[in-house]
Order: sequence, then structure tokens, then C-alpha cells
Amino acid sequence: MFHAGVDAVLFQDPPTFPTVTTSTASEALRVMRDDRFITTATTAQHRGPRRTPRKSLIVVLPENHVVSADLVAERLSGERDSDQIDVILACAGQPSSIAALQGRVRALQVLLAPAGTSGEDLRELAMNQAPGDIVTLLSGTPA
Amino acid sequence: MKTGDAQHSQSGSARETASHGLLLSVIVSTLNSRGTLPQVLAAIRGSDLPRKSYEIIVVDDASIDGSAAIAARYADTVVKLTGHSAGPAYARNRGVELARGDVIAFVDGDVVIRPDTLPRLLAILLERPDIDAVSASRNESAGAPNFVSQYWNLLLSFGEQRHSGRCAQFAPGCGVVRRAAFLSAGMYDEWRFDTASMESVELGERLLGAGHGVILSSELTVTHLKQWDFRSVCREVWHRSRVLARSLGYLRMSAAAPGEVVFTLCRTLIPAVAILGTLLLATAFVPAPHPSAKFGVALAALLLTNLPVHIFYTNTRGFWFATLSAPLHVFVQIVAAIALCTGWVLRDVFGDVSPDATTQAYSEVGLEIWPPVPRRL
Repeated sequence: MFHAGVDAVLFQDPPTFPTVTTSTASEALRVMRDDRFITTATTAQHRGPRRTPRKSLIVVLPENHVVSADLVAERLSGERDSDQIDVILACAGQPSSIAALQGRVRALQVLLAPAGTSGEDLRELAMNQAPGDIVTLLSGTPA
Repeated sequence: MKTGDAQHSQSGSARETASHGLLLSVIVSTLNSRGTLPQVLAAIRGSDLPRKSYEIIVVDDASIDGSAAIAARYADTVVKLTGHSAGPAYARNRGVELARGDVIAFVDGDVVIRPDTLPRLLAILLERPDIDAVSASRNESAGAPNFVSQYWNLLLSFGEQRHSGRCAQFAPGCGVVRRAAFLSAGMYDEWRFDTASMESVELGERLLGAGHGVILSSELTVTHLKQWDFRSVCREVWHRSRVLARSLGYLRMSAAAPGEVVFTLCRTLIPAVAILGTLLLATAFVPAPHPSAKFGVALAALLLTNLPVHIFYTNTRGFWFATLSAPLHVFVQIVAAIALCTGWVLRDVFGDVSPDATTQAYSEVGLEIWPPVPRRL
């Protein structure tokens, strides 16, 4: 486990997914702009010219909602190189029932924001973490 | 049916059609628009259309102010272009490559639409199969309150209002185009337009040349938030005029897009120059007048030939605004005239605009990289 500061902690194990947690939403916005808090998965960017754009999928999960793994899987299935897509689950509060999603997404990053963080703030937080050139944002719950 | 009822019916039919699935891809190209982007994107999301019927794609043209993060708060897809800014033509084309809708809407990163703008633009396309592209005019009230912004916004609005209807004017602020027509016309010319200038006017002209219907609606207006100052207006006029003369052809574009601001500025210069020329010739036969008389005649000629513009300013902002804007207008006209001459010289000496040698070399060998090398039409 890496201690990345007083107010923000970057976990790599356990839990088994790379996670960023913060104490408050405003703090989260601040620390996300700091490169030190980018997870190892996101810093492993390709250097030099790339042939194709890197893609990220941000799944936004509001507080007290359960992520729909089918929804995410359906979205990924529509992509050509779905295994190359970085998937980031941005949650307000501690997520529940993400095992199904973990089982279907090879390298899932989970971004934990404080409970009460709005959907828009979650999107912005996750965007700062997303390494992709093309970033798709998806609500994690069925409409 | 009353006009209001007809408009309501039009936007209603667009809503009904839109409810059947994804119809529209709204592409917003942005460059360092952090200040205006929330308002712009919130306005798009406030459109009177079912949310599932449209997607918002924001293409960030290498901003350095964190525009992409702001865009993520509202958008469905954010494209982050890296390196140096490649211009709105390039950015919009990247957005279209990801778009899934049958109709593409282009909204600039500093343009605020109204809730009924997109439904009504869509309704025109749905009800008129002969039209493939339609754009909204510029609102007379600029978002920025300073004098130069008001002057410039009104000048652009003047040209659009006088020459709305069927012409090749595809206004850059907000317009919709059928995806098939856009692709068949060859998309935006990202090869020649690496900065914001005449790319939309050129696209409109190309669409029209390919047999597609293009209209500029004077009823639908959008608000531009960009703040202008004296320097930025002169730079814009210089750039537009130079590109027009060097790459597009004055006469061809004058016929296709008469509402373009360069024509508003330069069209009135021609009679003014003719009057002055006549006066100069007359000095060969009659005694030379006093210099102040010459100056007075020149000023009168410029005011007279620009009378429609000054009347427009008086009607919209009052007499004092029109009076104050007159010297600025004359200066901007001179800038446009010099830039046009520069453009013609550059065209004759160096030829058409083209990207730098590295980009040309990359394009020649067909190098596949991200972000892609600008494509030739």
C-alpha cells in the first residue's frame, strides 16, 4: 500500500483493485490534479507516438446505487478492442456489489470519492484519472 | 397556422422522431473554454429533446486550462487531443468520426443555445428533405458586455441577417448537418484551416456545390459568449480576409456566402475608393482643395457607403453607440482591405495555404498515429 498523503490514500492491495480514496469532495478534486495520486495503472502510459487512440470508459456510480455489470459489458462489447479499454468505476461512498463487474472487466480501477459527492464531481474526478485519449462516460445504473 | 404554432409543431415533430432512438450527435469543439464551457454544455443538456435521443461529444483541442475535466461533467464522450491545437475543423472531424447519430450538430465552445434551438433545427431537416444543413444566426446581444464585443457581434449579426435564407453560409456557432451529406462533401477541410477562420463558410460552399441544400435561419439565434478586444478583432479580420483572398477566392465566396463579415467590411469600401479616386482625378482639372476638405470628403464617402451598417447600429444600440463605432469600423475596414491585398499577393507568390513540411511528409507516407495527421480533402 502506498501512502500518498495525509488526506488521500492509494491502495493496491487489498482490495484487489487500484483505488483512490479522499476525505472530502473538494479535497478529492484538489488531489486528483496532483500527479502523485495517479494509480500505477494509469501512469503506465505509452511513450512516443501511438498508432491508435487509447480509450477509457468511466462508469459513474452515485451513492447507494448498484452498478449494472450488464450495462458496462454491453457498452464494452460494442468496442473493437474492448480488452484494451481502461475501465474506471467512480463511486460516491463505499460501493457494494461490484464483484460481478470485477468478474467481467479485466482491469477495473475503482475511484472512491466521499459519500455525498455529486455525479458531476465524480465525472470530473474520474476524468482527471482517465488516461485515455477518448473517454466515454457512462452512468453505472440503468436509466 | 400561426408562426408560433408552426414552430411548436415543428419542434414537437422533432421530439417525437427523436424519442425513437439516437438521432443527433452534438459535437462541441473547445480550446481553453473553461470559463464558458459549463454554460454551453448545460444549455445543450437543457435542450427540449429526450436525453436518449442525442449524445454530446466534446473534442478538447489541446487545451491547457482543464477544459476536458469540465466537459466530463456534462458530456457522453470527451476526446482529448494532445500536442498543439489543430483548429476547430480538425477537432470537429475527430468528433464526427465517433458520432453515432444520423444528424450532426456543431456547437462552439462559447455558444449558448436555447432549449428549442436543436429541436427546431432538427425539425427543418425532418420536414425539408431538400435541405441538408441548417444553422442558427447570431443573436444581436453578445454575451460579453464590453464595447468591442458588442460592435463585433452586431457586425457579424448584420451580415447574417441581411443574407439569411438560402446561401452557402454555414454559421460556425451552431448548425446541424445530415451525416451522409457531411461525409459525402468530404467533412471539414482540416488541411487548410488549422485555426478558427473560414472553415464553416468553406464547408457550406462545398456542400452547396455538391448539390446539398444549405440555409441560415434568421429566426433561430444563439448567443456568443466570447469576449473580444480591439486587438483580437483586428487579428480575426486580418486572418479571415487573408484566408479568403489566398485560399477561397473573393468573387466565388462573395456569391456563395454574401453574409460573411469580410464582405460586409469590404463591399462598402469599393464605392468609397471610387469616390476618392474620382476626386483625386478631378484635382488635375480644378484647383486642389484644402487638405481638411479632402479629409472631410473621404470621411463623408466612408460614412455614406457604410450607412446601412450605421443605421443598423443606431436601431439596435442607439445613436451614440453608432457614432462611437464609426471610427472603429473604418479602421477595421482598412485592416480587412490590407489583409485581402496581402492574401492575394501570398496566393500569387506562395500558392494556397498548406500545413508545415513535417505534416505534409507524414501525410505523404500515410503514417498512422494518434492524433492523426490532418487529412487532405
